[in-house]
Amino acid sequence: MKSTAVEASNYSDTKGKKAQKPKSLWGHAWTQLSRDKVAMLSLTIFALYTLVAFLSVTGLIASDWKNEVGLSYGVPSRDHWFGLDIFGRSVFAKTIKGTEVAMSVGFVVATISACIGIIFGSFAGFYGGKIDELIVWFYTVVSSVPNIMLVMAIALISGKGIHSVYLALGLTTWVNLCRLIRAEVIRHKDREYVQAAAAIGGGDFRKLFKHVLPNVFHIVIINFTLTFQIAIKSEVILSYLGLGVQGRPSWGVMINDAKLELARGYWWQLAAATFAMFFVLLALNILGDALRDSLDPKLKGK
Amino acid sequence: MSDKILEVKDLKVEFKTDNGIVTAVNGVNIEVYKGKTLGIVGESGSGKSVTALSIMGLIPSPPGNVAGGEIIYRGKNVLDIPTDEMRTIRGNKIAMIFQEPMTSLNPVFTVGNQIEEVLALHQKELTKQDRKDKVIEMLSLVGIPSPEKRANEYPHQLSGGMRQRVMIAISLACRPDILIADEPTTALDVTIQAQILELMKKLQEEIGMGIIFITHDLGVVAEMCDDVAVMYCGQIVERADVKTLFNRSRHPYTKGLIESIPSFDSTLGETRERLPTIEGMVPSLQNLPTGCNFQDRCDFATDICKGQNGDPLLEKYGSDEHMIRCFNPLS
Amino acid sequence: MNIYTYILRRLLYIFPVIIGVSFLIFILFNVVCPDPTLIMLGKHATPEQMAMLRTELGLDRPLWVQYFDILKSAFTFDFGRSWNTKQEIFQMIKNGAIPSLTFTVPGFIFSTITSLSIAVVVAFYRGKFLDKFFVVICVSMMSISSLAYILFFQWFFAYKLGMFEISGYEDGFPYFIPYVILPIIIWIILSLGYDLRFYRTVMLDEIYQDYVRTARAKGLSERVILFKHVLKNAMIPVITYVVIQIPYLILGALLIENFFGIPGLGSLVVDAINSNDFGVLKAMSILTSLAFIFFNLLSDVLYTMVDPRVRLK
Repeated sequence: MKSTAVEASNYSDTKGKKAQKPKSLWGHAWTQLSRDKVAMLSLTIFALYTLVAFLSVTGLIASDWKNEVGLSYGVPSRDHWFGLDIFGRSVFAKTIKGTEVAMSVGFVVATISACIGIIFGSFAGFYGGKIDELIVWFYTVVSSVPNIMLVMAIALISGKGIHSVYLALGLTTWVNLCRLIRAEVIRHKDREYVQAAAAIGGGDFRKLFKHVLPNVFHIVIINFTLTFQIAIKSEVILSYLGLGVQGRPSWGVMINDAKLELARGYWWQLAAATFAMFFVLLALNILGDALRDSLDPKLKGK
Repeated sequence: MSDKILEVKDLKVEFKTDNGIVTAVNGVNIEVYKGKTLGIVGESGSGKSVTALSIMGLIPSPPGNVAGGEIIYRGKNVLDIPTDEMRTIRGNKIAMIFQEPMTSLNPVFTVGNQIEEVLALHQKELTKQDRKDKVIEMLSLVGIPSPEKRANEYPHQLSGGMRQRVMIAISLACRPDILIADEPTTALDVTIQAQILELMKKLQEEIGMGIIFITHDLGVVAEMCDDVAVMYCGQIVERADVKTLFNRSRHPYTKGLIESIPSFDSTLGETRERLPTIEGMVPSLQNLPTGCNFQDRCDFATDICKGQNGDPLLEKYGSDEHMIRCFNPLS
Repeated sequence: MNIYTYILRRLLYIFPVIIGVSFLIFILFNVVCPDPTLIMLGKHATPEQMAMLRTELGLDRPLWVQYFDILKSAFTFDFGRSWNTKQEIFQMIKNGAIPSLTFTVPGFIFSTITSLSIAVVVAFYRGKFLDKFFVVICVSMMSISSLAYILFFQWFFAYKLGMFEISGYEDGFPYFIPYVILPIIIWIILSLGYDLRFYRTVMLDEIYQDYVRTARAKGLSERVILFKHVLKNAMIPVITYVVIQIPYLILGALLIENFFGIPGLGSLVVDAINSNDFGVLKAMSILTSLAFIFFNLLSDVLYTMVDPRVRLK
């Protein structure tokens, strides 16, 4: 019953317009988002994780994770909330260090992937012709190799460590965004406002960056939350395969350690890493959906 | 007067929104007679489509909800009929066509299949061959050339006008008592629009159904309807037969609507430079003013319109059938 | 464009893609990669040993010859021998395929049926409690690491409760069954969140279409609308989605196989990573890419056949 739903929403629209100036897409999106309590909670959780990661990078917290603070496999207690690992190190501190790894992998990978996706996608869509064909061929090729094989190959040949995780995941996760941006730019570039910009003498780049990209940026944001999740999940798998982070704790390394611990009843490392990961992924998931609802008018009301 | 088939009494429909409950239809009264056409006119959001959907029992719930009133069809209140029984009326006795002919048909079934479906549902006595014949008959009735061939085609192979003809064929396949047409020609080209309107009039003569014709286009109303109800903010503000409404409308809103129709009439065309419009915006249904809903946009509003003596009521004016909701009717 | 022209063009397009894929694999393993002989022989290798190994692996030949070898292998399936075990790679892959398929195929079938049925039910109760409940379940299930699932399930059901074999595999029809039940269950659990979410979105996309309103106005019951009108439209994206996933069945599941000691293709890949067996990795990359390309093509062709709007354009 689309028509009635649309009519009903028209009422609130007219009200908004009467009360104040028409808001931008982002203004509207923010109003809608800020009313959604679960989404706001998710945003808070995400911000909290980012803060923890930031404090951990700067060494303000958990810098002493290497220290032995008790017996091997000490059970969770008041002193050590998440218990201790095989070397008597605090699992809590390790979880924080893992948060640092996960968040940095998320941010770096999502940023690399967004940059590649935006550049290729907008060039393909904007210039069309041979450039478009070439880029489409290129991303068809990249997406034809199963992601996991490509990630492993890149991680393997670029050496072990966090940098190869960044590289492997950043270079393999951009295809989806590139496709979306390309389609959206094609949709936008012939619109009147872009034509008008050309008429008053805007160059290609001006046209692209001033008029087309701002109109497809919401896709980038929505995709960012998605790539962030994929990156965090993949880091765990790469760590398990021995291609991930070396010599420092990460959630993947912790879960991997639990493989031998679980049978002996030492569940806390697995639990700590799994829950730490669960909450941030859940928050990103919910946030992604809420952003999609508020930013993508096509999907409204679903 | 002729036989009354349907009567809507004090209908009230509410919708739950993010900003609270909105009354989309508030106390609507209409009557539909056999072989006659009732026009419902109004801007989008005036509640005309919601009224139509309530008659069909198709208000999406949630968020919608019929909060009060009665819809009497052949002596029975449609709102009290259980869903299963309502389904035997829907598409059979009361049928509806919609604004969007491009998307209202299912893309993965053939046109013939979609007409046949409604026959199979409501006329179980028909054999498969009967239904096939009936499909061809309906397609030629609505003026689709080479119906045998068209019956096996998919909706995307037809033009917008053709698809709307198919929609009409579906809705009239069971020879309903009432046809509700919700802006059936809005999405079509002007020439096609005229053809569809002509077709609907012709079929009304043949089948004799009452039509509820919902539109925002008063030009179409003048051509199609016998009676007209003008809606504003979920209420009827003026109701009359079509002649009275066009010649002697008393409500400032109706008057404004009529004056904003482009006209080739020389006496008007020369004296005015541009088409008059109704200034201002439709108020939000969530904070309607006290008193008359139209007061902010009305040139004739006085203090009484602000509601010191309550809201305006729909009252008889002059002849029996002419009703208006206004404190300061035009003379 | 005629439908046959379209299919033909789509068919011909796979050649530039195969050329691209083999080039990508070549760049990664033969050009960018640091000297593999160093990794294989360790720090103390003499230059002579390294040179011998290079010759043995064919790495001393001109680059274009090396590229041509990779491209050729995409058509002949002659991948040479493993760098590690010296076995014929194609034979290793053939041996690994069956154990992988014994659990991925049932897992895939069950998870598709389960999530599709739940999606239909959920679409029927859209906006109600049941719908919201499953949305929460989906999102939560997707937020847990697959590694954590496997670890926990293996520990709890196999180790703690002793309901299933902890690990291992036996060849031959009835014998492998006890070893694959838990992997199948885990596969279903791992895919359920993603699948259900996708199918639900597909169903809801259709349910809000105008033709559904028309169907209601005809007097059809919600059940008929859902199973006839909505489902037939939803089948178009569903079929595409299902077909595109098939290559993953061939690839197996790296982690599940590794944990349960199933000697499938997933294990083959993991072993190859641990032993720097680039021969096997290249072969697996090419084969799985070919599967991807083929099933993508198939899903495109199927799409044009299922959707009347494309069929006759």
